[in-house]
Amino acid sequence: MAFTMTGEVDLPADRQTVWEKLNDPEVLKASIPGCQELEKTSDTSFAAIVGLKIGPVKATFRGKVNLTDLKPPEGYRIEGEGDGGVAGFAKGGATVTLAPSETGTRLSYNVDAQIGGKLAQLGGRLVNGVAKKLADEFFANFARAVTGEGAASA
Amino acid sequence: MTTVTLTVNGQSVTQAIDPRTLLVQLLRENLRLTGTHVGCDTSQCGACVVHVNGVSVKSCTMLAAQCEGASVTTIEGIAQGGQLHPMQEAFREHHGLQCGYCTPGMIMSAIDIVNRKGTALDEETVRHELEGNICRCTGYHNIVKAVIAGAEAMAGGMRQAAE
Amino acid sequence: MAVTSIGARVVRKEDHRFITGKGQYTDDINRPGQAHAVFVRSPHAAATIRRIDTSAARSMPGVVAILTGEDLAADKIGGLICGWMIHSKDGSPMKAGAHPALAHGKVRYVGDHVAVVIAETVLQAKDAAEAVVVDYAVEKPVVDVASALAKGAPAVHAEAPDNRVFSWHLGDKAATDAAFAKARHVTALDIVNNRLIPNAMEPRAAVGDYDSGNDAFTLYTTSQNPHVARLVLSAFIGVAPEHKLRVIAPDVGGGFGSKIFIYAEETVCVWAAKKVGRPVKWTSDRTEAFLSDAHGRDHVTRAEMALDENGRILALRVNTKANLGAYLSTFASSVPTYLYAPLLSGQYDIPAIYAEVDGVYTHTAPVDAYRGAGRPEATFVVERLVEVAAREIGMDPARFRARNYIRKFPHQTPVIMAYDAGDYDASLKKALELADYKGFGRRKREAARRGKLRGIGFSSYIEACGIAPSAAVGSLGAGVGLWESAEVRVNPIGTVEVLTGSHSHGQGHETTFAQLVSDRLGIPIENVSIVHGDTDKVQMGMGTYGSRSGAVGMSAIAKALDKVIAKGKKVAAHVLEAAEGDIEFKDGKFSVAGTDRSAGFGDIALQAYIAHKFNGQELEPGLKEGAFYDPTNFTFPAGVHICELEVDPQTGDVTIEKWTAVDDFGVIINPLIVEGQVHGGIAQGVGQALHEGAVYDPATGQLVTASYMDYRMPRAEDLPSFVVDTTVTPCPSNPLGIKGCGEAGAIAAPAAVVNALTNAVGHEDVPMPATPQAMWRACRKAAQPLAAE
Repeated sequence: MAFTMTGEVDLPADRQTVWEKLNDPEVLKASIPGCQELEKTSDTSFAAIVGLKIGPVKATFRGKVNLTDLKPPEGYRIEGEGDGGVAGFAKGGATVTLAPSETGTRLSYNVDAQIGGKLAQLGGRLVNGVAKKLADEFFANFARAVTGEGAASA
Repeated sequence: MTTVTLTVNGQSVTQAIDPRTLLVQLLRENLRLTGTHVGCDTSQCGACVVHVNGVSVKSCTMLAAQCEGASVTTIEGIAQGGQLHPMQEAFREHHGLQCGYCTPGMIMSAIDIVNRKGTALDEETVRHELEGNICRCTGYHNIVKAVIAGAEAMAGGMRQAAE
Repeated sequence: MAVTSIGARVVRKEDHRFITGKGQYTDDINRPGQAHAVFVRSPHAAATIRRIDTSAARSMPGVVAILTGEDLAADKIGGLICGWMIHSKDGSPMKAGAHPALAHGKVRYVGDHVAVVIAETVLQAKDAAEAVVVDYAVEKPVVDVASALAKGAPAVHAEAPDNRVFSWHLGDKAATDAAFAKARHVTALDIVNNRLIPNAMEPRAAVGDYDSGNDAFTLYTTSQNPHVARLVLSAFIGVAPEHKLRVIAPDVGGGFGSKIFIYAEETVCVWAAKKVGRPVKWTSDRTEAFLSDAHGRDHVTRAEMALDENGRILALRVNTKANLGAYLSTFASSVPTYLYAPLLSGQYDIPAIYAEVDGVYTHTAPVDAYRGAGRPEATFVVERLVEVAAREIGMDPARFRARNYIRKFPHQTPVIMAYDAGDYDASLKKALELADYKGFGRRKREAARRGKLRGIGFSSYIEACGIAPSAAVGSLGAGVGLWESAEVRVNPIGTVEVLTGSHSHGQGHETTFAQLVSDRLGIPIENVSIVHGDTDKVQMGMGTYGSRSGAVGMSAIAKALDKVIAKGKKVAAHVLEAAEGDIEFKDGKFSVAGTDRSAGFGDIALQAYIAHKFNGQELEPGLKEGAFYDPTNFTFPAGVHICELEVDPQTGDVTIEKWTAVDDFGVIINPLIVEGQVHGGIAQGVGQALHEGAVYDPATGQLVTASYMDYRMPRAEDLPSFVVDTTVTPCPSNPLGIKGCGEAGAIAAPAAVVNALTNAVGHEDVPMPATPQAMWRACRKAAQPLAAE
């Protein structure tokens, strides 16, 4: 099943800083909820292992993440797909746009994603809520990384 | 592996089990008490209901290891000395079963309802209390009749025991 | 001990084992050295398999083997079959794609079988299944008939490029169109018959066992028809020849059609048992059952009814698109065709009927027979049209039905069926009285005062059961005959075993069949055992579905009993030293007419076996007779169900206040059991109308109703106690007068509920399932329903 989600978040840093952090595997790894491994495989791709729990389904996803449409420092599209084995699969992407704002940078995101297998069969109803929660967690983590608090807590 | 010791239908048993083992798996696979059934994986259908320390439990959602020291009663353990439990009799008498698959869970839940709500049950109470047990065959009509009648028969049994 | 007669309300003989936890279901069976199978299933609705990497999984603890479609093909194990050939309007045969038991190159629905992991324990097999890596090239799926038939839609199978498996029709188009042209009034409806998942409480299971010493297989499986399973596994799939394959269907925890079919899992288990040299067991979990059991219904229909100026039905015109899923299951093609369109005449005298049905492939689980199979869909079409037509012309719906009832029998409909007997007025009259139809207006007003919308709805259904003469179904495309067999074995002390090809999975055959024997032979019911479900014991049989076990299975027993009695008379003639023609058999005694000389049934049985009193060259010793009974016609159970309910317009919640069912099942063997069948059928029909619906995500083909958290099963609190009664016109087409009762409730109920809901809200736009959300919307749409009172 497919779902979409949009949102925006204000970050207290200039656009160039936010852009750099968005391309920093260490920051991404610390920000993605459940991320166990994130390895750069090229300038625009990563191999990732992410553990997630959606409703009654708990799974470890192995997959790849690609960055496309790079327009530094205005934004990019981040796409990924992960295979959780018997738990099913998740794939999707987000268009991320950075714009200067009064307090620093406004990050807007537009997510489209699909899930399948057990995730959809048992966790389907919960996915929107979980996705929102994961996005909130990601940006809370990312905001900390951008402001340098992340280093202290990591 | 871990070891669990519990009482099942009055007999003490000790089993070495994978820690992931569910109570229903211990009963069915290790002890071959196959009267307790699995009808779903999400704790919705009630085919697996047993009593743990006298209270009804869905044995598909309880780890066997959680039952350390507990007393478990299954459908195989409610008849006394060759005498069927009044609730078993009531299910037969009122045709409260067809394929029989949900029946052990239904009977164990029914006894639990009587334990909690008393022996004078009305239809509304029984229907509400059977929320956690799914039957696909009977349309519940005769199950409801059986539970009410079984409860009355249990009252008779209790009176006799008291005298 | 007394004889138990036909018609007696006896409690069931089989219950003791079920209420004490001693039933033996397939998953309760464990064979020495058994390994466990877990299937790797496709998470995608449509994809090409690029590669299956089992290397990591193979090295996991406890793994015995991992097998794929290539292994099946290498062993020349054939694909699953559809046993009913349908020809399209243009005479071309249906376009069926291959259905391998493990996917070969492509997966076509979420849950499609890709590989099987066999390990020492279930948990180890599950762990290893997680480590099987399948590389899929994901494709766009089509999950509903509209998108599957759209121009440019992806083809599920290359064999059917436009996804049309067949484009079939029945009836006289010209006569029907002509009738519509002169109609005074036409009622038209667009109807969606929602997709259901059968959900027998016992999930499917299979244990395959191979005896290398005798090169023989045994399959324990959850089947409604073990002999048909053996035939298909042997003759078509090629696992083993019939004499080397024993199929045992032990206690089976409900079927409702879903256990008729020969599935991939049992095929794989029995084949793999030889392959790995160990018994192999598979037990479905509930989510697997949702994904891979054959689903039911799923029709999209445009239906029209033409009326004359007197409120008489002139004609019916129906166009149905039937979703058959990704593969043709065992009887899939027969359900929306010959089990559907021939029922479109309902209980009504309709001069002209024309039905067109397209069978459509989609990327969803296969769809096949589910309780009623085609007949609920037909009844829903007819009974919704009748109800709406009555409302549109301002006639009371009960009166409108009665005006159009068939009253002369036999009655030939324009769509194959020749109804043999019935009294539809009698059922309607009794139902109206029991439901207190006259008092409904008062109850509706009283409900309105409480802010509730009260509605009443009818369903005046008919079904065709038992299935028809074998030659007739053969001419319509069936690959098998639909007779039944029985063997009556009388033991020397006069106890009896009956071997039947019918299979009981909740229907109570061990009681009703024994009742027939007790009644006919005059022996106590305790002295009779019914043996079924084992191809090594019962020679051949066609199994239980289509409400056929009474009408056909028991007729076979009756025929064998007649032969036993005839043989007994020959023996008795020698024992009682009288002419065979003078021997009478009554109340368990053979006697010489006009004398007081007699011998009990047990005495004659003993004499038959010791064979001292007759010449064994002239009369064979022993007392054992078999019979095959081929029905002479379908049977036609019919009745009237009335549903009265209340809708809460604030929440959309529906409460069924009263259910009245008056059915004509012909002769009834055991009313207790028949009532139970009716109750259960109604519950499933109410489930379809109010709660149940399989939902596939249209974009991705994911089944999002794959557990009891999302697929709403009817529970005790959703239903009232039912008022159930009968009328009786004996069926003239079989020796016992039985019509069958297993499907009636599920056939009748959905239309009764929706007719009551639409009556309550005052318009016809109510979908199934009529969930609280749907009903809340329907209430919003209703134009001032309370003010109308």
